[in-house]
Amino acid sequence: MSTDAEPVTGTSSDAGSADPAFDPGLPHRCSPRVALRPEPFGALVYHFGTRRLSFLKTPQLVEVVSGLEHHPDVHSAVAAAGVEEAQRPAYLRALAGLAANGTIEPRP
Amino acid sequence: MAPIEQSESPAEEPLVEETLVEEVSIDGMCGVY
Repeated sequence: MSTDAEPVTGTSSDAGSADPAFDPGLPHRCSPRVALRPEPFGALVYHFGTRRLSFLKTPQLVEVVSGLEHHPDVHSAVAAAGVEEAQRPAYLRALAGLAANGTIEPRP
Repeated sequence: MAPIEQSESPAEEPLVEETLVEEVSIDGMCGVY
């Protein structure tokens, strides 16, 4: 099953779907405008720009987000966090959502 | 008395996919300490 998806850049902001510009093959990082507070259930995430509060509901996802800056791409960060392959599509969807709301961003 | 027939329900599938990220709305909480 081919999961290659070319990043689609566009100015349209269709609600309901993940950020079309999210490319897990690119290096990412947690946005500097975001505060990440680890909790036993996962983490609280607060974006100072959008003033949006979110919960990361698994410690593994927290590890992925925290480790993004140390890996060459999102896939590597997900693998390094020990996410099982069967769960990776769900994690990638979650990360795409985090990219859409500005919690994570591509790093130069 | 006729025995109560219990319909065999198929294996219940999860109705809601567990999400990894949950957004919380804190609108309207200005001034709340």
